[in-house]
Amino acid sequence: MRGGDVETGRGDEGGRRGRRVRGVSGALVPAVGRTVPWRALGAGAVVGLLLVALPRLLSVEPDPWLSLNLLRAAVLAFALGLAFLLDDPARHLTTPVTTRRWVRTGLRVAWVVPPAALWWTAALALVPEKVRPPVGSVTLEAGATAVFALAAAAMAVRFGNEPESGPTVAAGVLTTAVLAQVLLPDRWSLFVATGDPRWEAAHERWALVLALAALVWGACGPEPVRRGFRFLRRRPTAADPSAA
Amino acid sequence: MTPTVSASGLSLRYGGIRALDDVSLRLTRGVTGLLGPNGAGKTTLLRVLATAVPPDRGAFTVLGHDPGTPRGRQEVRRVLGYLPQAPGFHPDFTAFEFVDYVAILKELTDRGARHREVRRVLAEVDLGDVRGRRIKKLSGGMRQRVALAAALVGDPGFLVMDEPTVGLDPEQRMRFRELIAQAGEGRTVLLSTHQTEDVAMLCNRVVVLAGGQVRFEGTPAELTARAAGRVWSSTERDPGALAGWRTGTGSFRNVGDPPPGAELLDPTLEDGYLLTLDDAGAEVAAA
Repeated sequence: MRGGDVETGRGDEGGRRGRRVRGVSGALVPAVGRTVPWRALGAGAVVGLLLVALPRLLSVEPDPWLSLNLLRAAVLAFALGLAFLLDDPARHLTTPVTTRRWVRTGLRVAWVVPPAALWWTAALALVPEKVRPPVGSVTLEAGATAVFALAAAAMAVRFGNEPESGPTVAAGVLTTAVLAQVLLPDRWSLFVATGDPRWEAAHERWALVLALAALVWGACGPEPVRRGFRFLRRRPTAADPSAA
Repeated sequence: MTPTVSASGLSLRYGGIRALDDVSLRLTRGVTGLLGPNGAGKTTLLRVLATAVPPDRGAFTVLGHDPGTPRGRQEVRRVLGYLPQAPGFHPDFTAFEFVDYVAILKELTDRGARHREVRRVLAEVDLGDVRGRRIKKLSGGMRQRVALAAALVGDPGFLVMDEPTVGLDPEQRMRFRELIAQAGEGRTVLLSTHQTEDVAMLCNRVVVLAGGQVRFEGTPAELTARAAGRVWSSTERDPGALAGWRTGTGSFRNVGDPPPGAELLDPTLEDGYLLTLDDAGAEVAAA
């Protein structure tokens, strides 16, 4: 039966969308797991752990300031790996399918969350307890940085043309982190030291970064690009036929 | 014949560029060729019809479904197969795994039925024997057939193909033509191409797009007939010709407005296409 449901169990009794999404998600989990860019994520994770472990590797006694900044550097390295999470070489081919992009994105994130949590636990464990910064606050920083990287990746998918925009996104995340450190005025500073009187205020700003990044990420979920965003669309070219 | 796909007044701009300008067309079952120069708006039109990007203005229906709403768009996607110009793959997947992945994305959730369907389409594109081979180990032509299998999975009623024969060697192109012709049996296929040969050999209808506008819609024979009396032979290249080249016999084949008494030749589809583009250019210049 052409153009309708073949003998596939597809689209039974239209309107059972939730059940269908669950069914598709169940079948997709293993396949999506293989599409996750594990190499980039692994590289970010390994570099991050090496950074945190540097004092141990070099037999240096870390102080709280050094430990905090090494943890931040580790988080940034991990976030650079996360910038590749939404890369999809088959993007052009799979754009007009019935499974919405947010389902695939959600599954990729679901694959990554458990190893990311383990990684963060390991990173914290590598910092000696006496110089370890407040876990809740640095976890907030880590979460905000990770979500920022994912939001940037989602924006690249939503408004860009590249199937694999990870390198560009990673460069953008790195540049933003450096510029935030260098250019943000004191009263907006995010990267303050433990014990600094601005610590609490800085972490309120981190919470704001997290919330804004989550909002942007959520807003970049729907497809296709709506009329209101047409100024952001790019015309397809022979080299990049998927633009728009 | 009843149209299966109807578009009316489709327009789309990218910044200041009008990629589609009031495009209306009606497709019926069989293979329709979409011809046009680079930048004509072919890929944009295909992406609009494939629901990858909404038009700024205008509407269209596919097999009775209107993609103007999210629900309608999903319905269109259920009956759609899309082969983009540069299909990418997850290279570590085997051909079977990749098509199976696309089948799941098309909501074919019953594992047994889905695997039967995947095997069927891989056999249809003649990849049954290499379905367990990793995509990175396949040739360019085989990869293109994997992409076609992915487009065909689920037996879509409307198949959109964007320059599928680009980059294939002549043998692969011939093989691919067979597959397109086969895919066109009982389906509506819209085939974008630069190759007038593809259109002449495969298509029962042809649409010429230039500057985002439809410049011709009809049969290949009608497009060819546009060049009747406008192709002639001469011993020297005619400076008044739109195009002219020395043929293997040593004489020149000229296309354009022939001088009185010229020795007229039978036109080809390519001649009709060239003259249609020239007429379109003249219209734009006059405007």
